[in-house]
Amino acid sequence: MKTLLAAIAAVALLAVAPFGLGGYETNVLMMVLFFVILAVGLDLVSGYCGQFSFATGAFYGVGAYTAAIMSRDLGTSIWLHLPAGAVVAGLFGLLLGIPALRLKGHFLAIVTIAFQTIVYLVISQWTSFTGGQVGLTMPNAGPVRIFGVTLFEFGSLRSYYWLTLAMTVICLIVAWRLIHSRLGREWVAIRDDETLAGAVGLDTTRGKLTAFVAYAALAGVAGVLTAHSLRGVTPDDFTIWISATVVAMMVVGGRGTFVGPIIGAAFLATLPEFLGKFAEYKMLIYGVLLVLAITLVPEGVVGRWRARTSR
Amino acid sequence: MDLFLQYLANGVVIGSTYVLVAVGLTLIFGILGVVNFAHGEFYMIGGYAGIFAITVLGLPVLPAVAVVLATAAVVGIAAEAILHKPMKNRDATSSIISSFGLAVALQNATLIVMGPQPQRLNLDVSKIPVLSSLPTDFGPVFLPQQRTLIPLTMVLLIAILYVVLRYTWTGRSLRAMAQHATVARLCGVRVERVAVVTFMVGAALAGIAGMLMSSIFLVYPIVGNMIALKAFTVVILGGMGNVAGAAAAGLLLGITESLTSGYIANSMRDIVGFVFVILVLLFRPQGLFGKAVDRS
Amino acid sequence: MTVPILEAKAITKRFGGVTAVNAASLTVGKGQIVGLIGPNGSGKSTMVNLVTGEMTPDEGQFLFNGHDITAQPSYRRARLGMARSFQLLRLFSSLSVEDNLVLANHMRMQSSLTASILDRAAAREEEAAARKRARELLAWFDLQEFASRPVTALSIGQQRMVELARGMMSEPTLFVLDEPAAGLSPPNVDRLIQLIRRMRDEFGMSILLVEHVMRVVRDLCDHVVVLDSGEKIAEGEPEAVVKDPVVVEAYIGTGWKRRAQG
Ligand SMILES: Nc1ncnc2c1ncn2[C@@H]1O[C@H](COP(=O)(O)OP(=O)(O)O)[C@@H](O)[C@H]1O
Ligand SMILES: [Mg+2]
Repeated sequence: MKTLLAAIAAVALLAVAPFGLGGYETNVLMMVLFFVILAVGLDLVSGYCGQFSFATGAFYGVGAYTAAIMSRDLGTSIWLHLPAGAVVAGLFGLLLGIPALRLKGHFLAIVTIAFQTIVYLVISQWTSFTGGQVGLTMPNAGPVRIFGVTLFEFGSLRSYYWLTLAMTVICLIVAWRLIHSRLGREWVAIRDDETLAGAVGLDTTRGKLTAFVAYAALAGVAGVLTAHSLRGVTPDDFTIWISATVVAMMVVGGRGTFVGPIIGAAFLATLPEFLGKFAEYKMLIYGVLLVLAITLVPEGVVGRWRARTSR
Repeated sequence: MDLFLQYLANGVVIGSTYVLVAVGLTLIFGILGVVNFAHGEFYMIGGYAGIFAITVLGLPVLPAVAVVLATAAVVGIAAEAILHKPMKNRDATSSIISSFGLAVALQNATLIVMGPQPQRLNLDVSKIPVLSSLPTDFGPVFLPQQRTLIPLTMVLLIAILYVVLRYTWTGRSLRAMAQHATVARLCGVRVERVAVVTFMVGAALAGIAGMLMSSIFLVYPIVGNMIALKAFTVVILGGMGNVAGAAAAGLLLGITESLTSGYIANSMRDIVGFVFVILVLLFRPQGLFGKAVDRS
Repeated sequence: MTVPILEAKAITKRFGGVTAVNAASLTVGKGQIVGLIGPNGSGKSTMVNLVTGEMTPDEGQFLFNGHDITAQPSYRRARLGMARSFQLLRLFSSLSVEDNLVLANHMRMQSSLTASILDRAAAREEEAAARKRARELLAWFDLQEFASRPVTALSIGQQRMVELARGMMSEPTLFVLDEPAAGLSPPNVDRLIQLIRRMRDEFGMSILLVEHVMRVVRDLCDHVVVLDSGEKIAEGEPEAVVKDPVVVEAYIGTGWKRRAQG
């Protein structure tokens, strides 16, 4: 009950935040929300189900390019792109999940990296379809109508921010329900001991594939939101370094916890802003932080805090 | 036909680089179980160290090689202290994440120090004995001496490595570790020293490759990304931990890429290897040349 | 002889050059407790892994209630009514005792996964029923006060009991136990013997029991199969088998070898 109230208060605060903030800060906050979706999604497959992935950037890109290409070729709206991005990215997740059934540890990590690289190379080189290195631009999402009445025009930064906030809340609720369902418990069982999971009658194939699909679909949603909010896509927003950053967010915050990746994403995505004129050291600091976190606090800040308080 | 031979030669040159980088990577994996994503940065640092020695210090080639090796030794010691020493008794993913962090840190430190603009190493081959007297035209194939140098160096270094692994106490310790770490420890192998040596060897092979390649292609802070990924491809194709396999697969990948870009499309050259690797992991996880092993 | 629930027919399993199980056959009748004994490394655990589907045999066939299950993966065999314990005890280490048991009940749940994700009443009721059953079982094992504790907080002996409770949670018809008495103190071994007997008598389970502690085998088993170097060297009534010179030779033989090596 207390957590629910705290969550509602946090969302309310974020909803009114643009009134007190300038455009730049609102933009930063929106980036944080994209990363929250990505990190929480990765946590489903890595933190809960124990399957490593360095391909978050690929699914993020698949969602973004789905929106950009549909918008260019079909002239469709964001309301169609959101489910479409989730479904297309989810299918790619299924595709990556299949090798994951047979591979573990570093073998799996390497396949996800190969997959990430293939997706990046395709979107950056298939110029006729994806716009190549230059990417694609997108029109405004347009007016939001109910029964022919225009509620508001999409176009302002704030409208995109609120949409992103709403979608983030929805994604978090989905993730929360997944984790606290029978499926989420099966994911943890697979992470703890896959052989035992099979021995007690759990279908580990289904468990792993659903985790990959859920993860990829959430990243796809984040991609659609990003493509629309930034009015376009370029391949360099979807490199392996995005994947590494999201892994860092999950690890620093705490794998296998719900709030850990949220805190990790908020911390690492806003870090450059606090660095001020040292912002060019941002990626250097990410790298060093990742090394320090995994060496000194492998369970993440939330994991460490839990271990302290439960004692 | 003429072009085919030229493509083949180009493939061997690139492939030799892959061999040098991948052999170190596969040694580090095979002996220490560390999946080192910062290996491309060993290559990048070798390139910059070579430029520093030759362009800034004005050293001749052999002392410049010594500078690159000394730098590689320092890098190897540091990398071992970060990626291996604190990660014992942890699952494989810890060192993966850590090496990812190290790669990001090294690239961005380089970016800050050296700037983003690509640089070239001016290797004056006319001053290098033997090499300067080599021809550049081999029938239909044109091969500048800077390029010929790469496969030659590769063969030399791999031969030295083979002899060291085979006939020296250190080499036997390394191989014992690769066979069975616990047993090796019981037999008096000093695991800490073996770990440091392994990282130094890996950094040296990759560093030399980076130095030589930067006389043909350019060096820039993120040049290691693609090289590391390619090297991983090679390591998997050759069978993880298998040195001879990595050597064969490195040449194979170089040649395949060169032929792909020549006969199919240049945009396909980088993708080929990754598609290969996913297929191999699905259908022959022990690698093209490996014996069956456990995949976990 | 009763109706067989499990038949292993000429099972062979090789690991590289080692033949861990060599053309061994055994049968467990309904309601029977069958012992599987043999010196260390004779292939007992391998046989258990083959029975429950963690490994697939190179040759041979398994029938479960008359159906060929040789190609079925472990989770399907569990759903057909098999449960097992592990020689090196295995539990889901980051979960509570109760959750460990509830997971073994997942496969029996009727409500859909979607219902569980959407927190529907049907799924909730089923979950509540599973938790109630888990607590009853834990009470049966005298572990009720540990229900919400993490499994790792329990002693090894208690964890072994949790493993048995987990097996019973899925209401198996065949329970395969791999050295359940290993590491237990003598009074706990007595309790274990009683518990296993009650599993059979009160719950009607058939049991395949791998055991080193001869007292357990003598007290419980209706029938004993002896493996040595992967081959079946004897079978029959426990008292007769234990006196069989071939069996004595196998045990003393390896005992003597071990002493000579040590
Ligand atoms: N996964 C495995 N890989 C290789 N050899 C194995 C494996 N499991 C068991 N063995 C070998 O098979 C033989 C039988 O082992 P096991 O079934 O554990 O014997 P027991 O349970 O009777 O002590 C032993 O020689 C053992 O070394
Ligand atoms: Mg055993």
